[in-house]
Amino acid sequence: MTVLRLGILFSTSGDYGALGRDCRDGAMTAIEDLRGACSVGIEPVAGDPAASSERYIELARRMIQEGGCRHVIGTVTSQARKDVIPVIEKRDAQLWYVCPYEGFEANPNVIYTGTCPNQHLLPLFEHMLPAYGRRVYLAGANYIWGWEMNRLAREVVTEAGGEIVGERCLPIGDTDVDRIVAEVAARQPDFILSNMLGPSSHAFLRAMRELGRRDPAFRPERCPVVSCDLTECELPEIGLGVADGQLAAASYFDSLDTLANRALKAQVAARFGSDRRVSSYFATSYATVRLCAEAVSRCGTDDPIKVRSALAGLMAPSPLGPLRIDPATNHANLPFLLGRISGPDFVILQSRPAAVADPYLIRRRTAVQPASAQPQLRIVS
Amino acid sequence: MKATLSFLGQRAVILHRPGETTDRLVRQCVLLGFRAEARWQPLRADEDADIVLVDADEGWDGILPWTPAEKPAPLVALLASEAPGRIAWALDQGADALIAKPITASAVYPALVMATRRHAETRQFNERIRRLEERVRLRPLVHAAVRTFMAADGCGENEAYGCLRREAMQKRLTLEQAAASILASPRRQAG
Repeated sequence: MTVLRLGILFSTSGDYGALGRDCRDGAMTAIEDLRGACSVGIEPVAGDPAASSERYIELARRMIQEGGCRHVIGTVTSQARKDVIPVIEKRDAQLWYVCPYEGFEANPNVIYTGTCPNQHLLPLFEHMLPAYGRRVYLAGANYIWGWEMNRLAREVVTEAGGEIVGERCLPIGDTDVDRIVAEVAARQPDFILSNMLGPSSHAFLRAMRELGRRDPAFRPERCPVVSCDLTECELPEIGLGVADGQLAAASYFDSLDTLANRALKAQVAARFGSDRRVSSYFATSYATVRLCAEAVSRCGTDDPIKVRSALAGLMAPSPLGPLRIDPATNHANLPFLLGRISGPDFVILQSRPAAVADPYLIRRRTAVQPASAQPQLRIVS
Repeated sequence: MKATLSFLGQRAVILHRPGETTDRLVRQCVLLGFRAEARWQPLRADEDADIVLVDADEGWDGILPWTPAEKPAPLVALLASEAPGRIAWALDQGADALIAKPITASAVYPALVMATRRHAETRQFNERIRRLEERVRLRPLVHAAVRTFMAADGCGENEAYGCLRREAMQKRLTLEQAAASILASPRRQAG
């Protein structure tokens, strides 16, 4: 039997712990699932870096050097991924990154199974601009994810003839959202893009709920908050019902009605109880471990170079649909789903089939059309 | 705000001995939309290259078919050495950016974007300097034209200069071109 020692490196405590816990649980569920059912024996080596760069680097080094791992699934934020990559590169190991991110990266030692902007932000704005309007407010976490997502959103909106009516970033963990809410109330955008994480995002959604109560113009049906990182795993923490009506883009929602997803949900219910919802973080991590095991099984070794070439010809069934890694970019082909929050779930409003990732957005020019082909003319008397 | 650059369909030429360095560079260039070619042969003057990456460790004078002043494309130096002579060689070729060897994937896109911007800016600066030098060179013509006006119309220098400017604006010429045309006109000369 081939042994796969797999580093599981997610920050499960700290500000974005809910995301990390879903990633970890997804990976562990896949490992349980494959026990005895696969020619590969997976031995997990788990560690919680608690959102600290130093701990991420130290744990990655130990997993590889002392734990004998040649594959590590992990990192939640792009900051953490960029911290860990040099450790991975130096030892010729392989990182499996499962979270949505801002693109502009394609490292040979990383397999990306989370979405990048042509799979989340661009299709999201293709829907939002015509449907809600072109006056957009941008709120973000004050690091690379927030900065780059806001930059790209600004580019897309400006090209479509729209306007960014305000932009603010909060440090991760900061819940002082009053100023953002006041700006939103004053400038009345058509919708808000939130790239905030964890507590900031939760505080903002609660505050928007209050604003909507005071003024119906800010209820989700008129002025929704949209996001590319909010999933089922944070809804209980925000308060069920609080964010109802707000929107999010993802490659997976728990409510997806497919055979593969029903199978996963049955497993999750058995393992974690029937209240537990599966997020895209959970499902992607689950699918990624299975994909990794399948590739290792095919080549009979965990040698990263051989595993990468085995991946090139693989099309693995998964709860996200058939999962394929583009050998040119090491990114997964992923579907786009638009969901509306309803209680603990997302109602799927729109879906698009899996798209090839374009991490450097070299094919973007034709992607987003102006919201309205009609010139904005008014009769003035 | 600067738009996200796309290199789709452009041609990158990598002048470097084939090996891991060129494999990595070609991979990243292709991801960025380039058609990439790596070889250890000089660049030909008749070749179309939208960006050139050259080995500064072993490159020699003449591997590029141009002087830095007339460099038609952005140039990126690939350098492992810290030797002052090799750094100077890269600078002398007009390198717009540098990628340290061994190549890490994340070093490529920033260097190519930076080289592209730098090269475009350098060209704009050079063009501006060329235009300014031309104007300085033709300054005596302007003086001569002003004196011609003064003599012909019996006016002061300021007024004569104003006449010249109006004439240049009406005919949509530069001040220098207008001055040259006035001096070439027999009527004005006669006046």
